[in-house]
Amino acid sequence: MAQVMMKNLNKKYDEVHAVKDVNLHIRDKEFMVLVGPSGCGKSTTLRMVAGLEEITAGEIMIGDRVVNDLPPKDRDIAMVFQNYALYPHMTVYDNMAFGLKMRKFPKLEIQKRVQEAAEILGIQELLRRKPRQLSGGQRQRVAVGRAIVRHPQVFLFDEPLSNLDAKLRVQMRVELKRLHERLETTAIYVTHDQVEAMTLGDRVVVMKDGWIQQVGEPLELYGKPANKFVAGFIGSPAMNFLDVKVADANGALWAEAHGLRVKVPPAHTSRLMPYKGQQVTLGVRPEDLQLASGSDPSEYVFDAVVDVVEPLGSEILLDLRAANSTIVARVEPTVRVKVHEKTRLAMTPDRAHFFDVNTELAI
Amino acid sequence: MRAATTTRRRDIQLAYLLLAPTLLLLLTVLAYPVGWEVWTSLTDLSPLKDGPPAFVGLANYRAFLADPEFWRAAAVTVVYAAVTSVAKLALGTGFALLLARPFRGRALVFLAVFLPWAYPASVSVIGWYWTLSPPIPTAYSVLMGNIKYAVDSAFGGGAWAFVSVTLFNIWRGSSFIGVFLLAGINAIPPQLFECAVLESKSPWRRFWLVTVPLLKPFFALAVFLSLAMAFADLANVWMLTGGRIVFPVIGTHAYWLAIRGGQFGAASALSLMLVPFFLVVLLVCFRIFDPPEGTGA
Repeated sequence: MAQVMMKNLNKKYDEVHAVKDVNLHIRDKEFMVLVGPSGCGKSTTLRMVAGLEEITAGEIMIGDRVVNDLPPKDRDIAMVFQNYALYPHMTVYDNMAFGLKMRKFPKLEIQKRVQEAAEILGIQELLRRKPRQLSGGQRQRVAVGRAIVRHPQVFLFDEPLSNLDAKLRVQMRVELKRLHERLETTAIYVTHDQVEAMTLGDRVVVMKDGWIQQVGEPLELYGKPANKFVAGFIGSPAMNFLDVKVADANGALWAEAHGLRVKVPPAHTSRLMPYKGQQVTLGVRPEDLQLASGSDPSEYVFDAVVDVVEPLGSEILLDLRAANSTIVARVEPTVRVKVHEKTRLAMTPDRAHFFDVNTELAI
Repeated sequence: MRAATTTRRRDIQLAYLLLAPTLLLLLTVLAYPVGWEVWTSLTDLSPLKDGPPAFVGLANYRAFLADPEFWRAAAVTVVYAAVTSVAKLALGTGFALLLARPFRGRALVFLAVFLPWAYPASVSVIGWYWTLSPPIPTAYSVLMGNIKYAVDSAFGGGAWAFVSVTLFNIWRGSSFIGVFLLAGINAIPPQLFECAVLESKSPWRRFWLVTVPLLKPFFALAVFLSLAMAFADLANVWMLTGGRIVFPVIGTHAYWLAIRGGQFGAASALSLMLVPFFLVVLLVCFRIFDPPEGTGA
């Protein structure tokens, strides 16, 4: 069990600055997810913790040791790779025992640990098989098992579920979460899938272009995104962004765009004061938009035209045209609308987000 | 029901039609020459003889089995093949491992490693020939002459020629094996090597426990190719020794018998003598390459 600290961590390749000044404190027993689009530096960061990439500048501590110059073997970590990295010439048992054998553990201890891990993962029946005789999900379990038997201080996961089909991914996600609760080992988990990040992480780090964008608990990222990138990245379907102008009228602030005029919610008024007369970006999540009924306060209602209707069963996604943009609304499955129909949308006022046009930071 | 049968029959006919060109090619360029050679080896076919060749059964083979010259040539061939294969494999593995990881100037090193193979054999042979027996008398040529004399007097006549041909084969072949194994290494997901780095500091242990087993199929093929080239080698030996039989291998013997001696029957038998042995080696190679299901589990 250990915490992991990254101080001013940097990684430069010849021409690419892949990781920029990453500062991160991962607490003992925490499940930390690094998420971001490809090329954001999340995998490179993980590989520096593992020791598979050299650190250009900065420091990584595991427990109370600086590990910069420690060989990977001595860092007390275990890693699960996206493509499982199982040895085709070894049985499942030998694959799981591999790390312990390389470390010259006594045979009995190896046997005990492999059995134990196999039981936890429900793969006792598979121990004598070769990897090619296993399904994707089973291989994934073996790869996780190979990490478990090492009893490491930190688990490192590099997109471990990305090679699985959608259904299996959801199932393995739950299993990983259960496993973490049982083993209580610090884990760093890299994924490009924000749903995985939200569901698995105690905390989530959103990265882009080598920079950390925001660190926080999943609901914090969802509810209070620090900037436009995080706001758009977390949540599915993604947040709608509208370019609006802040106007002052009737003793209140208004967000205006072509064919749209909504009141700035009271919570935002004071912060938006300095932007009076300027452009800002209004962000509204699809789930915070509903078809307007008579009871909705009119200052949060605007016109829209239905473009596409996507009934998903539990909900309906509407693609609409409003204020010269395309926006998505997630509405009740009972709603009946037709394509090209003119309608009115109401937004939930206290769920609106505003972003600076230049810095893209949340206002 | 009838329609289905007709369709099926048409499918089968089409399948044979599509296979026909390949089959024809294999029959003309492979089966026919091999069959002809086997038949020839059972006759006394020779352009020096009038009349049709007589069937002599296994006489040609029996003659060789009783001939100490044959046994010497066979032994030299086997040693030649074994020594060059082992050396090429070792050097080639080194080249492949060296070139597998990126470093500055890798392209140049790659070129240097691959050059011996890409260079026309006849030209590089002259280079080697002059290196080992310099045409102009200098201090160097004296030195090489002394070495040749020392080697030949220690191991018998032809030893120096054997060494030079072996060195040439290794020089030329290890670059090929190296590039071949490099392709093998590149075909293995890098995570399999990284996973080993996470568990062991010793490159030596990682090499034997991970790299070698993962490359096994490629090693088997490389050994096979190398052995095949050495067993059938005539060109290298011929060019380097200028056609003199200073050290006999099966290839040069057969060539002498057939082309210079006109004894087609005997020459065919001679070149087929090592085939059974070679097939066994081949079989072992492919057992390693593609082990039957269920072993080792």
